[in-house]
Amino acid sequence: MIFGAGVFKGMMVTLKNFLTSYYRDRDNGGIFTVQYPEEREKLAENYRNLPFLVYDGAPDQIRCVACGICERECPPKCIHIEMATDAAGKPARKPAVFDIDYSLCMNCGICEEVCPFDSIYMDHTFEITSQAGPRSLIRGKEALARSNDYFRKIRPAMAAAVDQKRKTAEDKKKAAATPPPPQEIK
Amino acid sequence: MELLQLGAKFGIYAVMAAILVFALGVVTFRNLFHCALCLAAALIGTAGIYIALQAEFLAGVQILLYVGGVITLVVFAIMLTEHLAGKTVRQNNAQSLPAIVGLAGFVTALIALILKTPWPVTEAALKAKTSAMGLGEALMGTYVFPFEVISIVLLAALIGTVVIAKKDAPEERP
Amino acid sequence: MENIGSFIDMIFVTAKAWILALLGQFLPVWIVVLASIVISGVAILCLGPVIMMYLTLLERKVIGRIQNRYGPNRVGIWGLLQPIADGIKMFTKEDIVPANADKLIHLLAPIMTVVPALMIFVVVPFGRQMTAADLNIGFLYFIAVSSITILPIFMASWSSRNKYSLLGGMRTAAQLISYEVPMTLAAVPAIMMSQSLSTNTIVLTQAGSFGLNWFIFTPWGIVGFIVFFLCATAECNRPPFDLPEAESELVAGFHTEYSGMKFALFYMAEYMNAFTLCGIAATLFLGGWQGPFLPSWVWFFGKTLALICIMIWFRGTFPRFRVDHLMAFAWKFLLPLTLVNILLTALWQFTSASAAWLFSIMILAAMLYMLVKLNRVFVPEKRNYVLAD
Repeated sequence: MIFGAGVFKGMMVTLKNFLTSYYRDRDNGGIFTVQYPEEREKLAENYRNLPFLVYDGAPDQIRCVACGICERECPPKCIHIEMATDAAGKPARKPAVFDIDYSLCMNCGICEEVCPFDSIYMDHTFEITSQAGPRSLIRGKEALARSNDYFRKIRPAMAAAVDQKRKTAEDKKKAAATPPPPQEIK
Repeated sequence: MELLQLGAKFGIYAVMAAILVFALGVVTFRNLFHCALCLAAALIGTAGIYIALQAEFLAGVQILLYVGGVITLVVFAIMLTEHLAGKTVRQNNAQSLPAIVGLAGFVTALIALILKTPWPVTEAALKAKTSAMGLGEALMGTYVFPFEVISIVLLAALIGTVVIAKKDAPEERP
Repeated sequence: MENIGSFIDMIFVTAKAWILALLGQFLPVWIVVLASIVISGVAILCLGPVIMMYLTLLERKVIGRIQNRYGPNRVGIWGLLQPIADGIKMFTKEDIVPANADKLIHLLAPIMTVVPALMIFVVVPFGRQMTAADLNIGFLYFIAVSSITILPIFMASWSSRNKYSLLGGMRTAAQLISYEVPMTLAAVPAIMMSQSLSTNTIVLTQAGSFGLNWFIFTPWGIVGFIVFFLCATAECNRPPFDLPEAESELVAGFHTEYSGMKFALFYMAEYMNAFTLCGIAATLFLGGWQGPFLPSWVWFFGKTLALICIMIWFRGTFPRFRVDHLMAFAWKFLLPLTLVNILLTALWQFTSASAAWLFSIMILAAMLYMLVKLNRVFVPEKRNYVLAD
């Protein structure tokens, strides 16, 4: 062992890193910085950040029925729902007000898990900064609504599973609507 | 050119005045660290006077040894004696009066001596330039004996510090 | 071709002479003399901060590349305006002085740090006839002025009334005093061979054919250069010798309590010191501005920048020394090596070339082997824990 060999070994390592940073790509020992506003990392499919409401067809046809389960389960209580009433004054199965305070939301995703109507899902967005104060991050029903196509785009596997589930449920419902062959019931 | 020389003259007097002020600071300041800094400033001023007298080598050595070496050690000692660093210390005691009398006598004798000495300024001395080679030859030729004596003194001091600083061998633990 | 080469070589010297001649036509002589000083002074005063600014950028870029990331690249193309943005930020920051600090000394320390750093520039030979003041004690002046740099660091550490600062100051003093000795002794061979303390003469003696008779091409030159360069790295408190400002142990050492422009002044002094020390190392052993084909000042800045890049490379590679290792390295390894090196230079002077090479390499190898053996770290087989039982 020659005296000082370790010193040169260490210096060669840093020299190699310095040189390879110019011509290798990021997976082979090159620079691994992502130049954020211009370049972006591809988000993982199950990345979850801030909930949104899914609609089929027109933006005002959100799947939500204002059952209020997510409102109750939400740990930081950032969801506020008021049920709509129809012309007769009876409660309609859709929300009149559906507010989420993004400044309170902690991205736990419990709303997504508890929703029995597949209407609320976690988004891939994270650039919601605002300088206008905390209340500016409260998003209303219209701002939260996203199409099912968008959902399919950001989380294809999950959306396919949901669509499959809804289709079978629909089929079952249809089957239930058509009278089943009469059976003998004691 | 005359203006420049006049300026240089005033500069030298300003440096001398500054040295005196800083020297006064050394003996009057209550804070030891301030005293040390004043001493450093006075020593740098002295180097400035050497430069004005065209003794650049001496000026360089003055700064290197006194400011870079001695003052650093002084400040180091002050910082190590923690309780002195922050406190103010009285710089005089009851013996100041006899000291002033003695000093006055010494200064008078010194001034008398300086005035009596005929300071010969020759053309050859004015033209002589110190070079590294000349200094080396002087040290290794004319002044080799004092040079070697001083090195032996320094070596003795070095060995002495090692002996003092050396810890005794620890006793064998059972 | 010859003419154009020498014109570019002397472009700055010619420019200064031209300005002085212009002034001399309608101004008295003493103003011209003053103007000559002022021009050199202003050039140095501009050069120092600009060098510092772009060295910080270079360092951040190179360190970034070593760590597989881009350095600063947002302000201007390739981040070239980053130092200016940093400067604006430093100027607009609040200047905080601790309540118990010694206000006057706390203010003086950063100013005093920059002064010697700028003063060293005076003797650096930037090119042919481009030494601001060709003092006949050039190297001694450099050593003397750089020995003052301890004092402001002491002032800063003491006046801050902060334990971290004080510890940093202590470490600085110990380190700088220790490394000044081998640094000076490592430069002695170059002075012996050129028989002068003037930096310009030292460069001139390394001319040879093609300007390639550099001192580093001799055994004592290599050893002297390596020792000098290591000591220079220690002198300007750069990693791996950055104990005085060890971030992980002492917050920032002596400049913990400084903010805004005062902090920037410490930073500036550090980088200007790094530049001048590399410049002096290039002057002493790498032939200064000597070199074939290219203009002299290109050679000087090229060599200096190469040395600075090595310093940055060190910083990107090595972890910090331990205090006792640092001291042992200076006193037990570098110092004996430089002393042997001085003797070797004398031997080189008085023997014929081929025999001298043989002798030198043999002596150096034997010396290195001995020093390494003597400096071997003692690791006891069985450790004795005093407090364990």
